[in-house]
Amino acid sequence: MTETLGKTDTLVREIAGTTHAPPPTGRRRRRAVAEEPGKPWMIRVPLVLYLLFTLVPFYWMLVFAVRPTGSTQLVPWPVSFEHFDTVWNDIGFGVFFYNSVVMGLGVLVFVTILSVMGGYALARFRFRGQRVFLLAMLCSQFIPGAMMLIPLFVIFKGLGLLNSITGLVIAEVAFQLPLSLILMSGFIRNISVELEEAAMVDGCSRPRAFFAVVLPQLKPALVAVGSFAFIGAWNNFLFALMFATRQDKFTLPVGLSYTLGEFNTDFGALAAGGVVAAVPVVLVFAVVQRFLVQGLSAGAVKG
Amino acid sequence: MRRLLVAAAAAALALSACSSGGGAGSDGNVTITFWDNNGGPAREPIYKELISRFEAANPTIKVEYVGIPSASVQQKYDTAIAGGETPDVGGVTTSYLAHLVGQQALAPLDDRINGGALKDKLLPSLVETVRQTAPDGKLYIVPSSANMDIIWYRTDWFEAAGLEPPKTWDEFTTAATRLTDAAANRYGYTIRGGAGSVFQLITEAYAYSGVDSFFKDGKSTLGDSANAELVDKIAKLYKKATPEADVNNSFTQMIAQFTGGSVAMMHHNLGSYSDVTKALGDKVAAIPLPVGPGGKRTVVPNPTDGFAVFNNSEHQDAAWKFAEFLTSAESNSYWNEKVGQIPANTDVRSAAWIDEAAHVKMALGVLEDPATVLVPAPVYLPQYSSITKADNEPQYQKVLLGELSAQDFLNTMAEQLTAAQKEWEDRK
Repeated sequence: MTETLGKTDTLVREIAGTTHAPPPTGRRRRRAVAEEPGKPWMIRVPLVLYLLFTLVPFYWMLVFAVRPTGSTQLVPWPVSFEHFDTVWNDIGFGVFFYNSVVMGLGVLVFVTILSVMGGYALARFRFRGQRVFLLAMLCSQFIPGAMMLIPLFVIFKGLGLLNSITGLVIAEVAFQLPLSLILMSGFIRNISVELEEAAMVDGCSRPRAFFAVVLPQLKPALVAVGSFAFIGAWNNFLFALMFATRQDKFTLPVGLSYTLGEFNTDFGALAAGGVVAAVPVVLVFAVVQRFLVQGLSAGAVKG
Repeated sequence: MRRLLVAAAAAALALSACSSGGGAGSDGNVTITFWDNNGGPAREPIYKELISRFEAANPTIKVEYVGIPSASVQQKYDTAIAGGETPDVGGVTTSYLAHLVGQQALAPLDDRINGGALKDKLLPSLVETVRQTAPDGKLYIVPSSANMDIIWYRTDWFEAAGLEPPKTWDEFTTAATRLTDAAANRYGYTIRGGAGSVFQLITEAYAYSGVDSFFKDGKSTLGDSANAELVDKIAKLYKKATPEADVNNSFTQMIAQFTGGSVAMMHHNLGSYSDVTKALGDKVAAIPLPVGPGGKRTVVPNPTDGFAVFNNSEHQDAAWKFAEFLTSAESNSYWNEKVGQIPANTDVRSAAWIDEAAHVKMALGVLEDPATVLVPAPVYLPQYSSITKADNEPQYQKVLLGELSAQDFLNTMAEQLTAAQKEWEDRK
């Protein structure tokens, strides 16, 4: 992958010259910031404060999750995993976790593939009704999910998609696709057409040119769109709550709200469940954040 | 393109063909779905036990348990009703009963109750509460248990200070002030100032004022000056005998403060029994809400819990059989003993556990005392929850912060309730 990327980089420079310079890589950016004149504490002190502000709730969650019931110590020691045992085995977070992972991955795959295909069409072809289509896509973002609940419920019931992860994936993909599509077409528009044309002159078919030239350059965009799709699906509560009427089809957010009783809340279990739900998201961001910054800035600044 | 469409249609048909699950099998067995309206790890095992007992006694009926998170249960029922995918039997409380009846989702149960083992076995005050909630006065749920607002207090703190548990509101405020030691982070009372505050405040106001009905000649009595006196007394306790953070307290924070050991008294209900006893053991006990200067005991009843059979169910007989089983003396006793609430089945009163559960016995005593007057809040009004929550919770916070007078606050809310009640009467 990196090799192709390197090759296309050179291609870009050869064919397009300076007008289509590649977006600066992460490392180059960081160096540019460090070279700026100014006092570093003006940036660092507010950042540290902000970080503390953000992390303290997480610390609380962690503390509640790993200290035994009834304990009030601030630094939990020895660490107890009783709450994790409760949520995973007794409450069924094992099943909820599996459902969430399957759904998240399903949404990730479909949103990414469909938005690349649709985004390519929007970026490269002129067709009748294109503007109307784009406008409709944008407008669909104004409709809150709760409004679509009952119509979707009725449709899904007719199709037998209630109580199934497939149904959740379809609903979530439908809701996430418009924005992903628009984002992706923006990314693709930033990749110069001349590259593809050059590839086609050299004998590539259009699909081949797409896979050889466009797709490798889309890597940051794929990561950005894909990870947002995954996290959006991971966090979605409403659809999972409404379309699943069997407990073995619950996802993590529904499971979390399930631990909140009307009269009693097991804070240890709730916190442990929160950790279970948060860890994958943190991992995803830790892995992809480098690409994410690239992807977002590539979309933000017109090349 | 056309081939694709045909394929898609075929796939959709194939999918919908497999969707008709449940129902009666060829061997006469039926599966019914039961929705627990306050699902969660605390109650699921209790229901699972009752279901296995039921299935052992009725081998042809299988019960599928689904726990619904209590915060979303009304929305879930609404969606299910609109989509025609309701369960066969479900837990329903009077707080959203009128709403479900309005959508004609529930089957009336009067005949089934009177024609079966439950005839004359249900606590009359609960039956009455259920009846009053439906516009046509029918019983759409069979009541199973009730909750009551009470005050939990720290017996050890009272003992150490040489105080008796308060019987009147004046004793109450005195005790709250005396037990406060802000320097040691100990407070006499904790006010619910955040989510759910107004509902709780209304029960306090009527307990104090002794006003014996919520509407008089179609007008809300909430603005009564005696009600305002109580609100004023509570607001005066704020920050003097209560933690400052109380202005944003929902019940979870309130319970956390109480179980954490920084508060002497907390107004909540029987539902927090397991939380408070788990944390404080025998250092905690319950008293009814104090009475006002008039000495009359008026109680705003909590929503009554019960089971409903849904109109859409294809197995209403089996569904009723299960609901009846859950309300039978044995099951009702088992259930209420575990959750610490007031059993609806009057045969349970003689159960041994009631003598040991002092808080339930106390509450039953209050509900059965002929001198007690029930003042049901109009939870059947469609606007009730928006008036008491969205509209007036922020206003109550202003009262606590001294930016709004108690009388003005109650007058505004009373006007809103009067208008809503009029609309309701007109539509009936």
